[in-house]
Amino acid sequence: MPDVNLIIDGQAVSVPAGTNLVDAARTVEVAIPVFCYHPKLKPVGMCRMCLVEVYTARIDPATRQVVMGPDGLPQLALMMNKLQPACVTPVSEGMVVKTTTEKVKFAQRGVLEFLLTSHPLDCPVCDKGGECPLQNLTMQWGPEVSRFDYSDKVHFEKPIKLSDVIYLDRERCILCSRCVRFQDDIAGDEVLGFDNRGRSWEIISKSEPGFDSKFSGNTTDICPVGALTNADFRFRSRVWEVRSTPSICTHCSVGCNLSLDARHNSLMRVMPRENDDVNEIWLCDKGRMGMRFVESATRVTTPLVRQHGKLVAASWDEALTRIASNLSQIAAKGNGQVAGMMSDSASNEDLYAFRKLITDTFQSTSLDHRPGAVTDVAIDEAIITAGVGMGTSLLSLGKGTAVVVLAADVEEEAPLYVLRLRGIKNRGGVVHVVNSFATKLGTSASSDTRIKAGSEAAYANAFLKLVLEAQVASGFDRRVRNLDDVRNQLSKLLLDTLLEHAGVSRAQLQKVVDAYMAASNAIIVYGRTALQIGASVTQTMANAAMATGKCGKANNGLIALTTGANTFGAVSLGVRPGKDGAAANEFWARAEAGTLRGLLVVGLNPAANNPAAVEGLQTIAKHGFLAVQTMFMNETAELADVVLPQMAIAETDGTITNAERRVQRFRIAMAAPAAMHPTWQVCAQIAERATVATPASKNATAVLSNWNYAVTSDVTDEVAQNNPRYAGVTYTSLDLSINSWGRQANESVYYDGTSYTNTEGNGVQLKTVADDAGAALTVVYSPPVEFEPKGEFGLLMQTPVRAYNGGTWSIDSKLGSRQVAAHVLISSADASRWNISAGDAITVASPIGSSTLPAQIDKNIAAGHVLMPDVAGAPVHLALGAYTRVAIRRAE
Amino acid sequence: MPPITEHVVLRDLDVPNIADLDVYIQHEGYEALRNAVKEKSPQDIINVVKDAGLRGRGGAGFPAGVKWGFLPKDVYPRYLCCNADESEPGTFNNHQIIDRNPHQLIEGVALAAYAIECQKAFIYIRGEFAAGALRLEKAIADATARGFLGKNVFGTNTSIEIIVHRGAGAYICGEETALLESLEGKVGHPRLKPPFPAVAGLYGKPTIVNNVETLTNVPRIVLKGVEWYRKNGTEKSPGTKVFSLSGHVNKPGNYEVPFGVTMRELIYDYAGGMRDDKKVKIIVPGGASSAWLTEANLDVAMDYESLAAAGTMLGSGGIIILDETVSAVELAYKMDEFFKHESCGKCTPCREGTHYLVKTLHKFTHGGAVKNDINKLHDVYNQMAGNCFCLLGESAVVPIRTALRLFPEEFEAALAKSPARHAIPLTLAH
Ligand SMILES: Cc1cc2nc3c(=O)[nH]c(=O)nc-3n(C[C@H](O)[C@H](O)[C@H](O)COP(=O)(O)O)c2cc1C
Ligand code: SF4
Ligand code: SF4
Ligand code: SF4
Ligand code: FES
Repeated sequence: MPDVNLIIDGQAVSVPAGTNLVDAARTVEVAIPVFCYHPKLKPVGMCRMCLVEVYTARIDPATRQVVMGPDGLPQLALMMNKLQPACVTPVSEGMVVKTTTEKVKFAQRGVLEFLLTSHPLDCPVCDKGGECPLQNLTMQWGPEVSRFDYSDKVHFEKPIKLSDVIYLDRERCILCSRCVRFQDDIAGDEVLGFDNRGRSWEIISKSEPGFDSKFSGNTTDICPVGALTNADFRFRSRVWEVRSTPSICTHCSVGCNLSLDARHNSLMRVMPRENDDVNEIWLCDKGRMGMRFVESATRVTTPLVRQHGKLVAASWDEALTRIASNLSQIAAKGNGQVAGMMSDSASNEDLYAFRKLITDTFQSTSLDHRPGAVTDVAIDEAIITAGVGMGTSLLSLGKGTAVVVLAADVEEEAPLYVLRLRGIKNRGGVVHVVNSFATKLGTSASSDTRIKAGSEAAYANAFLKLVLEAQVASGFDRRVRNLDDVRNQLSKLLLDTLLEHAGVSRAQLQKVVDAYMAASNAIIVYGRTALQIGASVTQTMANAAMATGKCGKANNGLIALTTGANTFGAVSLGVRPGKDGAAANEFWARAEAGTLRGLLVVGLNPAANNPAAVEGLQTIAKHGFLAVQTMFMNETAELADVVLPQMAIAETDGTITNAERRVQRFRIAMAAPAAMHPTWQVCAQIAERATVATPASKNATAVLSNWNYAVTSDVTDEVAQNNPRYAGVTYTSLDLSINSWGRQANESVYYDGTSYTNTEGNGVQLKTVADDAGAALTVVYSPPVEFEPKGEFGLLMQTPVRAYNGGTWSIDSKLGSRQVAAHVLISSADASRWNISAGDAITVASPIGSSTLPAQIDKNIAAGHVLMPDVAGAPVHLALGAYTRVAIRRAE
Repeated sequence: MPPITEHVVLRDLDVPNIADLDVYIQHEGYEALRNAVKEKSPQDIINVVKDAGLRGRGGAGFPAGVKWGFLPKDVYPRYLCCNADESEPGTFNNHQIIDRNPHQLIEGVALAAYAIECQKAFIYIRGEFAAGALRLEKAIADATARGFLGKNVFGTNTSIEIIVHRGAGAYICGEETALLESLEGKVGHPRLKPPFPAVAGLYGKPTIVNNVETLTNVPRIVLKGVEWYRKNGTEKSPGTKVFSLSGHVNKPGNYEVPFGVTMRELIYDYAGGMRDDKKVKIIVPGGASSAWLTEANLDVAMDYESLAAAGTMLGSGGIIILDETVSAVELAYKMDEFFKHESCGKCTPCREGTHYLVKTLHKFTHGGAVKNDINKLHDVYNQMAGNCFCLLGESAVVPIRTALRLFPEEFEAALAKSPARHAIPLTLAH
């Protein structure tokens, strides 16, 4: 559609049809003041702050023709003979808009005067002060004086709690409904509403518990006044006193951009930072209110070494020397004697240096990035090949887009994706959810298919079968290899059998397949369960993307919701078992067998809820050497020979690679609570002290010379040099992609207090294999795995993710009360079968053991299906992967 | 103008007990509907209503047949909502129709539903009209039992279901889009227009909203034809209108008269003249939202065009006539207090403006006015006028603006008497 031409305050403007006048004016840096309008929300036109004069061609009522003036141009007339709200007035050809006439100013002053006369004006004690649109607009457009009495103010009880973390001051509320609309339209948690009318109109929470949404904090940003405040920041600081440091959230794989606002080296608040390719301007509550652990008094601040059986404080030099010499000695005994385990939420630099330490210095290929509990997820190869292509931007997607979400609970695993996927649907795309239990995203999806527990791989293969059938007509992607084999193998699977196994009808599946095939942009999202099951789901879905050419280009391909914030980095930088190396869940058996004697653990707590790991760790500590770097003492650190303090993300810098392989930079926001070093440096210091002379590397000094880093970016540069996938990713390139989404001048009118403008780059997306035009794409048949309950273990148990899992992030968090306590969810049918009521203690037994914990009953899950959320204190060691056969009974 | 010989809407005046289904049937009841569903096309009904020039009685006087023609083609389901919220101060004719002649309203709803091809129609009735709602429900049940409503109306393929929904007591829910929100179970706030209800109304589907009196006219028009209907009224305002007269007249009540009678005739010929033969001071001609007239306007003809020419509107047809005992300041205060009470709060100028109007007017009526308060009143209504989200806020401007225009001296006098008049105003105007 051709652009529409109009004139705003004398300037020619050309914008797409349908643009409203506020947005049109922004393109020529004319700021029309707004309260209820927000660029991210549907306009409603209710505050009346944006009134302007709009002139359109005069129409003769008799002839219905445009009246021409003496100059041969159409005569103009004031639209509807009154001011028009710019936010809900679309542009039209030849329109003339005036935003600064006396009439407009009178109306703007009037609206502000009305708002201010009922407003408490307690700016001096209001958290919004300093970044408050009401203050700003009053300064620029408001009356200088007020003519109304103080007794005219609205009076309400000062803040009431909408929830544990959100407070509402109804006196300050200007009733713009931004908060309600954010919840309804963007978050999809319709928990806020209105009560009463006129001046007594007020915002209320409709949910029990109050304001029940994982995105509630965002309303405190977009609230144009200090009516909504959050418990994490209330009364902590004036906003102009904080120093903001750009950072990245590492609580999940989304990698939201945020700003750490500190004052006097103390964290005041966490605010979103705009990045349209990642989090737009939003954060989930976990990201916003899950940073208090940084300043916890219980942080490990000094190295500890074991003396006479006790951990005692030691110098860094002593601790590092002990680690280096002990692990050197053990490493000399051969491959695999030393092993390493490091969190996949760490930075690329730390992961890279750690990998280098273990493989180069200690000559071992036994390393991994998950704690090594049996529930761990498979390493995901599919995503490296067929992940969403370079240049993917979910915000640009709408009509013509299909997203298939399989075996994922998006809100719990990667909260922000709920907003982004809902956005695609709101803009006209389709989102189909397929999962074995009900999820929040499912409730607002285009379709929500419930498959039988354990049938994900059957569903994936049925999906692939139909996709390949449908693709035959138009031919397959030329780059695809091994297709005949896959088709041949698939032909042996009967569709009806797969469908029956999954418990879905052909029509249900067909609808999803049709949407996928018809879409010009198609994305497949899978999560925890898919990753636990492994290739038969992930590779099978990748096959579908490869065969149809729906990968290797922008906005097409796979997104894996990994458990770590940087799982892609960990995998692609080699923090994974190498040739002959052991995976984390094999460490304990090797320890018992005597083939693993030294272990370095960074940022993980494998001993938690895992008796086998505890035994293995004890054996290693007893007969060998266990070193742990951690922020907090935990079950693993208690067993260690040496414990090193670890820095929090706020205290160091580096890069993180998110679920869409976007590498993003975070910076140092504050000093660590005591002298400590980033992990990459600790690795270098250990390497420098190490003296390994093994058959593979006779010359220890050769290893030493490689650890020549002065600053973090030296490591970043080496990663880029040594790892083709990271080629060109440097601090400079990460900072270069500035502001590609484009806020314009005077944007404080729309965004003040909402999020920080991003001036630090929106990151660099790494290539997938499929992004290389010449790459061959090999599809691999992965037969469905079966999870059949058998014999005494007659139920199938899953260990789903909970965002509020009581992890490290929850230490000192205001979200404390929302943490999910360990429990088991069973179906109503099984509850009555075993005579179990909600809250009863039940014993869950799996082939490896049993444990007792409270039961909850969920009428939405099928008989025979058990969910044990993976939260702090839950005995997830009973699980054997995605699904485990279990028995339940009432505990005696 | 001679009085009408036959009532079109208030037929209870000619036929006692016409509220009974059998009585109604004896007097040509449901003939029009039977005829229509059996022999006429929906378009035929639209045409006859259009040709008759039936204008909406809800306030704006928009031609009903034209509105029905606005529905987008081929979009179904379509809905019809009969607006029985009647809350405009001084207006009470819908109430009488529902109480005394419910079947004619129901037949009108059914005919309109047939005309616009709607199978589910709603009557949104003011919450306080509890007895009326029960009466309507009974009448609908009776008619359904006879096969006049429900599935297969008169044995045809046409189905028309009518649902009575009671409001919860808000004037704003008479505004058609707030009515739709309320009907959907939401807070009664008006919606942004466009889209208009005819395009996207109830549950986002094409919807026609018509007033009770509008629809009650329809059966007679369909049965008796355009010419018969146009015998009454003027060229542009054809037919009859039920005016509700209240205030200081001797015989307040509803009077069905041809459009075009004069205000004087209404007051003196129909309503029995003024109480105690006092002089007319203020006439509120079409509900609280209409600009006031005075004795000087007694000869205005009661049709849409003439009242518009006089600077006011026919509105809901609720006429309040007040004599010299009434203070213009008091009246403005009372009326704006109504609007303040009913403001939904959605937009700033109305929510806050009505509050400050009432607050300031209260000072005039209770002796607290200070020097600058007259200017302040002018400013406040000017800050509202043309700037509100819906017509309720705009309506609130009307009483105070006309009061200040017609009776400025009463405000000056109130100020002169105000014990607080010498107090220094908080601040001066900007
Ligand atoms: C504040 C407000 C209140 C209204 N109240 C009523 C009402 O009670 N009854 C009514 O029929 N129309 C009322 N209207 C008018 C309706 O919005 C609508 O125009 C009317 O129902 C259309 O019916 P008609 O075309 O038959 O006149 C009101 C309008 C406004 C702005
Ligand atoms: S609380 Fe804030 S965002 Fe919500 S309506 Fe009030 S002013 Fe607007
Ligand atoms: S969605 Fe994930 S990355 Fe974003 S704020 Fe929440 S936890 Fe952090
Ligand atoms: S003018 Fe505004 S506040 Fe008043 S009733 Fe209409 S929408 Fe509500
Ligand atoms: S009415 Fe346009 S910004 Fe509120």
